[in-house]
Amino acid sequence: MDLFKRLEQTVNKQFEHGDLPKWLADPVLEVARSPHLYQDNEYLVELLLQQVDEYDVYAEAGCCKWAYDHEDVARTLRWLKEGK
Amino acid sequence: MPVYLDCNATTPVEPSVAALVTRFTQQDFGNAASPIHDYGMFARAAVEHARNLVGKVVEARPDEVIFTSGATESNNMAILGLIAHAHKTKRRHVITSAIEHKAVLEPVEYLERQGFEVDIIRANSAGRFCVEHLAQVLRPDTLLVSTMHVNNETGVLQPLDEVEQLLTGHDALWHVDAAQGYGKELEQLKSKRINMLALSGHKIFAPKGIGALILRKQDGHFPPLQPLMFGGGQEQGLRAGTLPVQLIAAFGEAAKLALRMHAAREEKCIAFRKKVLALLSTLDVEQNGAERWTLPHSINISLPGIASDQAIRALKNVIAISSTSACTSHTQTPSHVLAAMGRSPAQVESSLRLSWCHMTPEVDWDAVATILHDLHKTKT
Repeated sequence: MDLFKRLEQTVNKQFEHGDLPKWLADPVLEVARSPHLYQDNEYLVELLLQQVDEYDVYAEAGCCKWAYDHEDVARTLRWLKEGK
Repeated sequence: MPVYLDCNATTPVEPSVAALVTRFTQQDFGNAASPIHDYGMFARAAVEHARNLVGKVVEARPDEVIFTSGATESNNMAILGLIAHAHKTKRRHVITSAIEHKAVLEPVEYLERQGFEVDIIRANSAGRFCVEHLAQVLRPDTLLVSTMHVNNETGVLQPLDEVEQLLTGHDALWHVDAAQGYGKELEQLKSKRINMLALSGHKIFAPKGIGALILRKQDGHFPPLQPLMFGGGQEQGLRAGTLPVQLIAAFGEAAKLALRMHAAREEKCIAFRKKVLALLSTLDVEQNGAERWTLPHSINISLPGIASDQAIRALKNVIAISSTSACTSHTQTPSHVLAAMGRSPAQVESSLRLSWCHMTPEVDWDAVATILHDLHKTKT
């Protein structure tokens, strides 16, 4: 399946069945629905997909960090907007 | 230029993988251990992304992936890293097979010199190590069983599923050298019974200098390894040293492609194999390793009466091939793998390994056939 479609599906899944908040889901959906703007930055879109897929509110809790939290997703969104 | 048919030695780098190396060398060159600014944060994100991708191929969690410089280091870590635990538990019995890569055999020989008891299991003529022999030598106090996944010289898939059955319920640690088969044969390495997996990047279209040791946790704990290097605490304290972000990102991309493109790559390798087998059917050759167990991208043959070096030299303008493992070919040592399979010295000395990939261009097989037929005539 197309990377952007997978991102859209994953955001919807994590919003409806996971802990992804609406304020974070909305800007990710905006990326998923704008392939013309981000198709040249597939690497960061893939990174975003992974972070959304493994989103965990408590990612920073405990001794090790093996999931992604809102800061990770927000940072990747910023990098995408900045065209990093 | 001759067509490169030595992909078991190393593979060409995928263009998208090379692009990431450039990106993380020239533009995003931050240190993953300095996540106090965007350079470091981006490097860390790239490393963790790659860790996830590398683990996914074998269904390992990202925290079970320890990046190393390659499979040789990973194998050394898995074997020599157990020394302290062995002394503590007084379990000093190690088993490996006669067809392992030197990156396993030599650390095991080192253990033997340190007083460990070592059993080397036989291989059969099909090119597979003998699980019955493993069952015979396995003891209650066996510390480690080290077996390979795919043989580097023959391309033969080893019976890991049978080893898994044998070791179920036994508490020996199981290490698998998966340098040659990771990303190519996808099923056997998913076994949760395997405690340690050594991986190589440059066998799956990433650059040289990057690999990983997968350490599967049991009850939340790593296998009882001691690090071989100290100074920095990277990789959960198991492998010190600044992370080569550009190589790690490249390995992650290569792992991603190995999963995503698996079927398409395999199809291309099978189509190529049919042409190789068609050529070989016109010649007096013997295949080393059973065809039914050989992965599609590799074949090892013996040309009776024709020395390997002679054939390689004669073919050098058409195809670039080798006679044995790249890591031992420079020593001119006859193949210990073929010898262990019961091949005669004459067969070993006339062996050739051809290995290709999805990026291999067309070969002028008529030219190859002519050269080999001429060599054959010279011999007779």
